[in-house]
Amino acid sequence: MISHNVLDQLKAIVGEKNVFADTISVSSYSYDATMLSGTAMATVFPVTTEQTVHLVKYLDSVNIPLVPRGAGTNLSGGTIPMENSVVVNFSRMTKILEIDTENFVAVVEPGLVNFDFQVELEKYGFYYPPDPASYKATTLGGNLGECSGGPRCFKYGVTRDYVLGLEVVLPDGQIIQTGGRNFRSEPGFDLTRILVGSEGTLGFITKIFLRILPKPAAKKTMLAIYNEVEDASQTVADIVAAGIVPTTLEMMDNILINTAEDATGAGLPRDAGALLIIEIDGHEVDMDAQVEIIAEICKKARVREFKIARTVAEVDQLWLARRVVIGSVARRRPSYSLQDVTVPRSMFPSAVKEIVKVRKDYNLDIGILAHAGDGNFHPLVLFDQRNKDEVERVHAVEKHICTMALALGGTVSGEHGIGLLKKHFIEMEFSATAMESFKKIKSAFDPNHRFNPGKIM
Amino acid sequence: MNKAMAQIKGLIGEGHVVDSVAEMAKFLRGNGKPLAVVFPGSTAEVSGLVKLANELNLKIAVGGQVVESKGLDGGLALVLSRMNKILEIDHANLVATVEPGILHAAFVTKMEEEGLNFPPEPFAVETGSVGGCFAIGDTDSKAFQYMPTRTYLLGYEMVLPTGEVLDIGNKCIKNVSGYDLIHFAVGSRGTLGIFTKLLIKLLPPPEVKYAVLADFASIHKASIAFTTLIKRNIHPTRLNLINATLAKNTFPATEGNLVMVDLEGFKASTELLAEEISSVFKLAGAKNIRIVTNADEYVKIWRAWLSLRGELNTQDVERILDINVGPMKMPPALKALEEITGDLAGYPGIVLEGLLGHIRMLLPTAAEKNQLAGKVNALAMSFGGNVSGVLGSRLVCEAYNDAEMWQGITSLINQIRKQFDPKGILAPGASL
Ligand SMILES: Cc1cc2nc3c(=O)[nH]c(=O)nc-3n(C[C@H](O)[C@H](O)[C@H](O)COP(=O)(O)OP(=O)(O)OC[C@H]3O[C@@H](n4cnc5c(N)ncnc54)[C@H](O)[C@@H]3O)c2cc1C
Ligand SMILES: Cc1cc2nc3c(=O)[nH]c(=O)nc-3n(C[C@H](O)[C@H](O)[C@H](O)COP(=O)(O)OP(=O)(O)OC[C@H]3O[C@@H](n4cnc5c(N)ncnc54)[C@H](O)[C@@H]3O)c2cc1C
Repeated sequence: MISHNVLDQLKAIVGEKNVFADTISVSSYSYDATMLSGTAMATVFPVTTEQTVHLVKYLDSVNIPLVPRGAGTNLSGGTIPMENSVVVNFSRMTKILEIDTENFVAVVEPGLVNFDFQVELEKYGFYYPPDPASYKATTLGGNLGECSGGPRCFKYGVTRDYVLGLEVVLPDGQIIQTGGRNFRSEPGFDLTRILVGSEGTLGFITKIFLRILPKPAAKKTMLAIYNEVEDASQTVADIVAAGIVPTTLEMMDNILINTAEDATGAGLPRDAGALLIIEIDGHEVDMDAQVEIIAEICKKARVREFKIARTVAEVDQLWLARRVVIGSVARRRPSYSLQDVTVPRSMFPSAVKEIVKVRKDYNLDIGILAHAGDGNFHPLVLFDQRNKDEVERVHAVEKHICTMALALGGTVSGEHGIGLLKKHFIEMEFSATAMESFKKIKSAFDPNHRFNPGKIM
Repeated sequence: MNKAMAQIKGLIGEGHVVDSVAEMAKFLRGNGKPLAVVFPGSTAEVSGLVKLANELNLKIAVGGQVVESKGLDGGLALVLSRMNKILEIDHANLVATVEPGILHAAFVTKMEEEGLNFPPEPFAVETGSVGGCFAIGDTDSKAFQYMPTRTYLLGYEMVLPTGEVLDIGNKCIKNVSGYDLIHFAVGSRGTLGIFTKLLIKLLPPPEVKYAVLADFASIHKASIAFTTLIKRNIHPTRLNLINATLAKNTFPATEGNLVMVDLEGFKASTELLAEEISSVFKLAGAKNIRIVTNADEYVKIWRAWLSLRGELNTQDVERILDINVGPMKMPPALKALEEITGDLAGYPGIVLEGLLGHIRMLLPTAAEKNQLAGKVNALAMSFGGNVSGVLGSRLVCEAYNDAEMWQGITSLINQIRKQFDPKGILAPGASL
């Protein structure tokens, strides 16, 4: 419960219409895309940096912790509020302050939705490469909070690679600017990089300087369908070995081909073991030669069907199954848990094998979705949240998959972050010295644990 | 003093310690007077030395071949030249694990022989180490295409300022577990710890590498030609210029200022781009335009570029002022700069990196640096840029009259440094 005094103060800072403390509103911001939830005393929507500073200073004076939030789509429990905290929701800071295509820079507010940004950039023939599959809903502040990836990362890198600079409100209310409009503005320590991916535990991002790029002149989309998952893995390894760096190498296994087919009826063979969506981009004149090499590699890996999109409509057609896949599993089971681990690319086949084994051992439907080029797996565990026994098995699978990733030389989180969900797993990944170093970072920024306490560690 | 020396020698062996002033000078830069230059051979030895330094309150600075001795009086200069092995080259995952003391330039060559590409340019060809490459964390003239050095580090082993060994990272390009200490350490100039192993991301090599060279009588015309290329969506790997004064030494045949374009990519597009760039230069009034496809010649050209870069980075560093402006703002920025410097072609040194909007000035004397920095920063800011690095950050804060912001950044950086290095042992010469 929130006291009248605190409520009045919050209203004084951000305005009456930007504070919500009734039960319904508070519970609207009590969840994210995990099974977790928690109830804050209020949600506030700052619309300027100055308001954010005032909020931080005021809540500090009354000893109330703050939980930053964008669209709340994260898959790690990163925005789950604890009791007696205030959710600081940045989703009303949505302005594009500047698009400077001549100099490859855009300046935006953190609540801007990735998709809305892309639409605006498109008008100039530009784009912002990091494109999490959830980009239609997610905010750039949230993308930075998690250091989100997406299908294009293999060639273009992840969110951190496109952040040139930040305006940040620190836990003591101090505003700092890190980086700037170009690569060379960072003073000494790369503060920008430690803030990106820090899940709102070190500072609140109030302004973002992003690198934007002109859209590539040409793009080719291919679809390869295999009888066996192993053949798809082999294709991935061989493409990389041939010196080709595709933008995208997305893989779906048999279970997901079937759920996607249930949803779309697009005509994918239901008995196929796996499919790969392969996309390359670059100069028009370089496309055909690469497509030929890729076709050859697929053939060598016993591909069963190989399609090249000739038109924009065909590109959409090839992407259709991948686009609907996460939603499509709902037809089969009421709940799903989307896992996120990465293994070194060479371990891709071993990881696939292990997940297939886990599926049997735990008697759960697990579809395999992967950004195959970078070894990032998203096993989709299907279950029914009302079935306690199943839920327990899902948790066991989660742990098993994380353990597997570590054993194969990988990591427990490729792009979704740690939050609350994986707190207990990161100690398996990091030594005591590394954990101690994380604490030092946290202490330097936020000695009193004001910002998103309890997340990551 | 003697006791300390005995302990050091006991730790790493007498043969790996140098303490005569004359002998030490070979491994030192600057006028500091360390107690000894030491050559540890393993992580355990580095860690032992750092722990000892904490006990005895000695400063430590590191280098691959040569160590910066500023602030190091009575301390230890760690030369990592013995720790120079490539521990693993993993073709399937496009990564290599190396020790920090290997020469950056040697590592690049070795990777080329293996059919792999490590794009970052050596900071100093003769002395720059791979450990130093990541400790500096430069953004070089290939960064538009290949991204800054930071993006090539996937993990490391590091001896922290208190002597513990931090091992972090893995062979995955996608990794968001825990705080990103991996990239945070890049650019920390040895203040956060001493790299003892590096896990490095590599790329497949480009199909071809061509160069286009052209002589421009006017820097301004060259810089306008650069913007023409950008407008046409042509983004070469490097788009550089060195002014007439520098060109005279490096490429004596040059008439005026030299434009150096690097094209790394697929053959079909690279051939077309080389032609297109040549015609843009021709229209802009360039002379002696040549497309270089011969591999030996290509290597020679870029080796000369790297030596020049290395000299400016080391011998001439105190006379260097770096600014960045938006790449398309380069022509007006150069016009404005000329009002401060006089004729740019005849200035002691001007280097442009066109796609990055980077302007590097070699000042007539070091004394002018402080004097000019504020003025030049104001100029850069009016074109959406700033003076690079720490100096730049301070100047930007000053320009905004924002002492509070500068105070905020420095106190945060000092806090972090204090957390990791409570006794202030490491890298006394580095100002962050
Ligand atoms: C169906 C589905 C598909 C997905 N696909 C992908 C994918 O392909 N790749 C991928 O990487 N992720 C994916 N995600 C995960 C999620 O969408 C991303 O993590 C996304 O970036 C979160 O953005 P958000 O706006 O929802 O942020 P939130 O969930 O609201 O917040 C994310 C984190 O950032 C912090 N934060 C938010 N705003 C700020 C701020 N202004 N300052 C400081 N900290 C802040 C929060 O505290 C939290 O820790 C997917 C999720 C779903 C549900
Ligand atoms: C007065 C003065 C000011 C200078 N200012 C600057 C400046 O502002 N910016 C700049 O870039 N150069 C500066 N230099 C140049 C600098 O001293 C070196 O010349 C430069 O860093 C290259 O050194 P190197 O070729 O020997 O490389 P390396 O030996 O590879 O070292 C490069 C840097 O990395 C650090 N380093 C090396 N190995 C490791 C490791 N294993 N772990 C952690 N750190 C490591 C070194 O301490 C050094 O800072 C300055 C020099 C002087 C004399």
